[in-house]
Amino acid sequence: MADIDDGPSTSVSEPLDLVRLCLDEVVFVKLRGDRELKGRLHAYDSHCNMVLGDVEETIYITEEDEEEQEITRTVKKQSEMLFVRGDSVVLISPQAPS
Amino acid sequence: MLFFSFFKTLVDHEVTVELKNEISLRGTLKSVDQYLNIKLDDVSVVEDVRWPHLSSTRNMFIRGSVVRYVHLPAAAVDTALLEDATRREAASAAAKAKQG
Amino acid sequence: MENGSSTSKDPSGFLSEIIGAPVTVKLNSGIVYKGELQSVDGYMNIALEQCKEHVNGKPSRSFGDAFVRGNNVLYISADR
Repeated sequence: MADIDDGPSTSVSEPLDLVRLCLDEVVFVKLRGDRELKGRLHAYDSHCNMVLGDVEETIYITEEDEEEQEITRTVKKQSEMLFVRGDSVVLISPQAPS
Repeated sequence: MLFFSFFKTLVDHEVTVELKNEISLRGTLKSVDQYLNIKLDDVSVVEDVRWPHLSSTRNMFIRGSVVRYVHLPAAAVDTALLEDATRREAASAAAKAKQG
Repeated sequence: MENGSSTSKDPSGFLSEIIGAPVTVKLNSGIVYKGELQSVDGYMNIALEQCKEHVNGKPSRSFGDAFVRGNNVLYISADR
């Protein structure tokens, strides 16, 4: 029998559907440890394990200077293909933040 | 199960495993299990000046839970196949959730 | 047992009641996300629309849609 109920494949009925709609799109991912990723989403599972292509990683490092002022510097890294373990993931968004 | 199968296709490829404690290990992926524990051969430490105590270790078994990233060779990854497999996995997860 | 009605007293009943409403989601890290609640699942994974991030109480940036992984969630609160 043909499956008439094509609802789940197009609608957003559970949170992970939002991630499914991002497949083959560029996503923004916020991770634990002040890290962010931007890259094309090629795979994910229910743990939020992911594979991203053409990835730019941004790491925010907070240090104290001589006058004990907190300063944040960023380090950027590139990766052509990256597996991300889901337990580090905090947030996934289809668009870059504005 | 998706990523277990995916990593099995990458056996014998050169990968870089970045751990949650900042250490990066480059080596040949020799095996993987359902927890995504990883066995690496011919290991070299990416910043061996920072982590000299690891430099004599040639092969290791890495517990999946300590992994942050695995950097992969893009040429070894069929992205279209991966996306199809992901959609199938998502559909079967949704079907299971409906039943349960 | 009237489930899903305004008299429901269990937590998941509360969550299904506030779907579509503006909510505040606080994470264990202290970061707050405000937006319209699109959906929640059993892990407390959350999808938010028109999502605004607040760090140390100050608005920092916004996302069109956002998925928040449930293990980071401290609470979800309906704004009104």
